[in-house]
Amino acid sequence: MNLLRKAIAATAVTFCGVLAVSCGLESGGALPLSVEPGSIQPVPELEGVPITVGSKDFTEQVTLGYIIEFALSAAGADVRDLTNIQGSNSTRDAQLDGQIDVTYEYTGTGWINYLGNEIPIPDPTAQFEAVRDEDLERNGMVWVDPAPMNNTYALAMSRQTAEETGITTLSEYADLVNRDPAAATTCVETEFNVRQDGFPGMAAKYGFDPARANRQILQTGIIYQATADGTQCKFGEVFTTDGRIIALDLVLLEDDRQFFPKYNPAITMRKDFAEEHPQVAEVMAPISAALTNEEITELNRRVDVEGEEPADVARDWLVQKGFVTLP
Amino acid sequence: MTAAVTTKPTAPAARRSERARLLVQPILVLFLVVGVLGWAFSRDLTATQKGSLNAANIATLTWQHVLITVVVVVIVVIVAVPLGILLTRPGFTKLAPVFIGIANIGQAAPAIGLLVLLFLATGTTGFWIGVLPIAFYSLLPVLRNTILGLQEVNPAVIDAGRGQGMTAGLVLRKVEFPLAVPYILAGLRTSLVLAVGTATLSFLVSAGGLGILIDTGYKLRDNVTLVVGAVLAVALALLVDWCGALAEEFLGPKGLR
Repeated sequence: MNLLRKAIAATAVTFCGVLAVSCGLESGGALPLSVEPGSIQPVPELEGVPITVGSKDFTEQVTLGYIIEFALSAAGADVRDLTNIQGSNSTRDAQLDGQIDVTYEYTGTGWINYLGNEIPIPDPTAQFEAVRDEDLERNGMVWVDPAPMNNTYALAMSRQTAEETGITTLSEYADLVNRDPAAATTCVETEFNVRQDGFPGMAAKYGFDPARANRQILQTGIIYQATADGTQCKFGEVFTTDGRIIALDLVLLEDDRQFFPKYNPAITMRKDFAEEHPQVAEVMAPISAALTNEEITELNRRVDVEGEEPADVARDWLVQKGFVTLP
Repeated sequence: MTAAVTTKPTAPAARRSERARLLVQPILVLFLVVGVLGWAFSRDLTATQKGSLNAANIATLTWQHVLITVVVVVIVVIVAVPLGILLTRPGFTKLAPVFIGIANIGQAAPAIGLLVLLFLATGTTGFWIGVLPIAFYSLLPVLRNTILGLQEVNPAVIDAGRGQGMTAGLVLRKVEFPLAVPYILAGLRTSLVLAVGTATLSFLVSAGGLGILIDTGYKLRDNVTLVVGAVLAVALALLVDWCGALAEEFLGPKGLR
């Protein structure tokens, strides 16, 4: 009886496993929309080459994933879609294992999370070069085409708070904390509150006592709204490319002493793939160059605030910039 | 007295085990707290972990959690018990389904949704924004049990009271309410445990509590902080449940003990 039960259980587990593998882990689905060449012209070497593009599971990453997909599709490749993988680590593993070929990865994530470094490099170019060299040497991962956009931590305030206080930089914010902590109520997430590249590190770098700063711990979504309201939270922790910054008219404080790590996305590929298809880097170079904070924040806003589909938003942007055309 | 009687005849054995539990539970709580703190502080903590796991921070968060729980319980008692009494008075009984319905909505709605909705409605954050939704969330057990407890009082007992010349108010105070107390306390114990559990979400609106440790640990994949927060919340729930059991033991009507 017991044996029979075990056998049934084992069969069920195997069946579910097979089901999950056959549905979820095949190497990507087809593109949801089609595009025609624009300034990206068909590349003979990429014609019909199967390329799987991946991304992590948040808005910006999914949009960036679709941007790669449409660009390579316009260049003639047979693109498979594997965007929306749960979390950074799974995406990285999928790429190391060869389930995905191309993805946009952030320099800061590579440097701190994947390569295990604790101290970020302040200069974006130097940070990119450091990640590129170390990741190639240790893991055979190629980094090319870094984009100017930088999705990192920042403090933000409402337009009204900005006008009242006249503060524009984190140094001036630190002065305010030292002078009048009650006027500098700052809302942060649990994680940022203790991270060394978060609030404690920022306080050390800018020379104020973190214990003196009047801090409130809130949920991420609430921070944006409460900072925009400006009564409970004069300053709030945000991500620099979040669409809600535009939607709620928040003003970012400049990180004038270059404290926060740089999170510039760059194209990553395994070495064998990159050497076999050097054209991918050429196709993606002008696109990366066009990805500024303003551009990506607007794309994020259209998805998160307007409720549009990331694939639509990505294709619209590529069409608007002339990289591809509509069929 | 039918309902109360049916639960009491098996008393000796059940009561012995309840007494034993009253003794064991605080020891278990002590064991959990000492165990988890000893485990956490004997490890090599990183600077980030020390930011969360230091004596001052843990004490503050635990205190915030206790305070949220206590205030929630006070609100629940102040609102639910008089409301329950009112809804069993002649003329008001028809309203009972309405209020039970509202309390049901409170408990059925996700606590996290109630917290965020209250923030959006008021535009403020802080202690009360964290406390009020949790009070609403934990209202139902006490309200329902107060009504049930008063309904379960044998009409013959009430008649006997009135026959002795007691006013309706006096009957409520001397006869009905004391007989309903065991029910109310049982409901309160459920509410207390609900309140401790959901108070781990109050941090979302800046009300603090042990939820901060749980969330920090979860976000940073720092299991030490996560476990300390979770185990302390469990210990607090057990402690609070123990207080409820004590209350049941000593506050119930003497004749039914």
